[in-house]
Amino acid sequence: MSTDLDKAREATKQDAGGARGRVRMMRHIDPVVVLPYIYVVVLGLALYLKYPGLVTGPGRIDIRAMAVLPLALIAFGQTFAIATRGVDLSVGGIVSATTAILATHGSEKGFSLVLLIVILLALGILSGLVTGFLVAHTLLQPFIITLAMWSIWDGIAFIVLPVEGGTAPSELLRVLLGSVLGIPKSVIGVAILFLVWLWLRNTRFVVDVKAIGSDEARARLVGVPIAWRKIQVYVFTGFFAVLAGIYLTATTNSGAPNAGDQFILNSIACVIIGGASMYGGTGSVASSVIGAIVLLIIPDLVFAFNLTSFWSVFFEGFLLLVAVTISSLVITVRQNRVV
Amino acid sequence: MATGEKLKETTQDTSLGISDVLRKNVPIFLSYFVVLMLFVVGIAKSTGFGSTANIRFLAEQATFIGVIGLGQTLIIITGGIDLSVPWTFTGAAVLTSILANGDASKLPGVLLEVLGLAIVVGLLNGVGVAYAGVPPIIMTLGMSGCVEGLMLVYTHGGISSYPPAALGNWILDTTAGMPNLLWLWVVVLLIGIVILNFTTLGRSLYAIGTNRDAARFAGINVRHMLVIPYVISAIGGAAGGVLLMGYTGQAYLTMGDPYLFASAAAVAVGGASILGGNGHYIGTVAGAFVLTLLNALLILFNLGVGYLDIAYGVVLVAAAYIATQKLSRR
Repeated sequence: MSTDLDKAREATKQDAGGARGRVRMMRHIDPVVVLPYIYVVVLGLALYLKYPGLVTGPGRIDIRAMAVLPLALIAFGQTFAIATRGVDLSVGGIVSATTAILATHGSEKGFSLVLLIVILLALGILSGLVTGFLVAHTLLQPFIITLAMWSIWDGIAFIVLPVEGGTAPSELLRVLLGSVLGIPKSVIGVAILFLVWLWLRNTRFVVDVKAIGSDEARARLVGVPIAWRKIQVYVFTGFFAVLAGIYLTATTNSGAPNAGDQFILNSIACVIIGGASMYGGTGSVASSVIGAIVLLIIPDLVFAFNLTSFWSVFFEGFLLLVAVTISSLVITVRQNRVV
Repeated sequence: MATGEKLKETTQDTSLGISDVLRKNVPIFLSYFVVLMLFVVGIAKSTGFGSTANIRFLAEQATFIGVIGLGQTLIIITGGIDLSVPWTFTGAAVLTSILANGDASKLPGVLLEVLGLAIVVGLLNGVGVAYAGVPPIIMTLGMSGCVEGLMLVYTHGGISSYPPAALGNWILDTTAGMPNLLWLWVVVLLIGIVILNFTTLGRSLYAIGTNRDAARFAGINVRHMLVIPYVISAIGGAAGGVLLMGYTGQAYLTMGDPYLFASAAAVAVGGASILGGNGHYIGTVAGAFVLTLLNALLILFNLGVGYLDIAYGVVLVAAAYIATQKLSRR
C-alpha cells in the first residue's frame, strides 16, 4: 500500500520535473526515466521494513556511499560509452591493474605516491586513447576492442600481483577515508559526481555523444566531430576506471588481479537500470548513479533475508536482465504506438 | 554437340566454384599458415616441441577451445557474442562433479541433467536476444551473472567432490590411435561443417549476420533461427567444461575464466569478421590451435599467465582488424 503511494509520489515529482524539462528540452519525459527512482524506493523500503538497522544504523550512509562510489565512478564513464551505442568491457581490467599496481608499489620507499597516481591516470587515459582510436577509425565493434583491452589489462594485473594481497599506502587511506566536518568523504565523492554531471549535462560533449548514439549518420551531417567524441568517451571510461581502482584499493586496503571483474557487469547494469537505452542516444549519469545505489541495495537485502551472500551475484545479474527487458519492452510498445 | 556444350558448361561452373572457394577463404588459409609458423618457432626453440607426444598434448589442449568455439562461431556469424560461456562451462563441470561425486554409474543421468540445464541457459539467452531484442552482450553478461550466482550459492564457494575416474579414462583412451577427446572434436567439426554448408540454418545465420532486415524479407524466420546458435553455444560450453573436468580430474570455480577470451579470439583468428555475415568453423579450429600454440610458446619462453592474457588481447584485436579489412576492401 505504502509502496504504491510512494510510487505515485515519485511519479508526481518526476512529472513536475518533466514539465519543466519539456519546456526547456522540448522532448517527452520517458517513463523509463522514472523507473530507477521506483527501484530505489521499492527496494529501499523493502530493506527498511525488513531490517531498519541497515538503512538508518550509525555509519550506514558512509558504508553505503563507500560501496557506491567506485561503481558510480565506472558507471559515469560507462554511461557515455553506452550512449554512443558502445560499451566498455575494459574497465574491469583497468580497475584490477590499478589496485594491483597501487597495492604493491604504492608503499615503496623513494616512490612518490602522487607521481604513481599521475602515472596510473595517464595509463588509463592512454588505454582510452587506444580504444577510442580503434573504435573511431576501424570497423571493429567496441565490445571486441574492449574485450581485448580487458584481457591485456588483466594480464598486466596478473604479472604485477598474481594473487590478492598487498596493502594500500597509508597516505591514501588518510586522504580518501574518514570524514570532513562530520560529512563522510564517500558521500562527498558521490555528491561531487552529481555536481560534475550537472555541469556536464548541457555541454556540447554530452549533446554530441547522444546525437552519435541516436543516429551517427545524421550526427555526421550536422558536423559532430564523431571520431574525436568517441575517443573522448573511451578516455573518460579509462580515466574513471583508474579513479575507481584507486578508491577501491583504499576501501579494501589491498589489491587483486581480478578485483575489477565484478564491475563490468555491474557498471553496465547501473546504466541500464538507470534507464538508458542499450541502443544508444540516451543516458544520464545521475540516473546511472541511482542505478548504482539500487544495485548495492541487493547485497543488503540478501543479508536481511538471511540468504548467503552468494545470492547477491545472482540477483545482480537477474536485475540487469529484468531492467533490460523492461526497457526493451517500453521501446517496443513506443515503436508500436508510433507505427 | 549438345552434350559437349553441356559438359563445357559444367566444367566451367565447377572451376569457377573452386576458385571462388579459394578466394573467399583466404583468411582461413592464413590462419592455418599462422599455426604452421608458430609450430616452426616452437621446434626451433626446442626439438621436443615436434614430438608426437607434444603434438597430441597440444591437440588435446586445443580441443576445449574448439568445442566451445562452434557455438561462438555461429553466434559471431550472426553478429552477436556469447559472454556467458565461462559460466556454462564451469557450471556444467561443477554440477557433474558434485552430482556424480566419483560414482561412474550415476554419470549418464547426471550428464543428461546437465545437458538439459545447458539447453535452458542457451534458450534463455537466445530468446532474450531474438524475441526480447536485448543486445547479445548484455543478455549473455546478465545470464553469466545469474549462473555464476547460482553456482556460488550451490557450492558455497568451494568444491570438495571429484568426477568419476571413468570419465577421465574414457576421454584419454585411444580409438584407432587417437584419444577419444580428439575424436569428439572431429565429430564437432563435422557437425560444424554440416550446419554451415548443408543446412538452411547455416545459410540463414550468414544471411542474418549480413543483413537482418534483408534476411527477414527473404522469408527467413529470423527470431526462430537466432535462438539456435545460443543453444548450441551453451551445449558446447557445457561439453567443454565436462571434458576439461574429466581431463584434469577436477572441477573448480575459476576453470572457465580463460575460455571467454579464448573462444572469442579463436573465432576472430579463424578469419570470421566480428561484424557478422562471414567466417567458418574450419577457421575457428585453426584459431584454437593458434591460441594453444601461443600458450605453449609463452611457457617455452618462461612467460606466465599474465603474458598469455596480454597475447590473447593483442591477437584478438589484430585478427579482428585484419578480418574487417578484408571485408571493407571487397
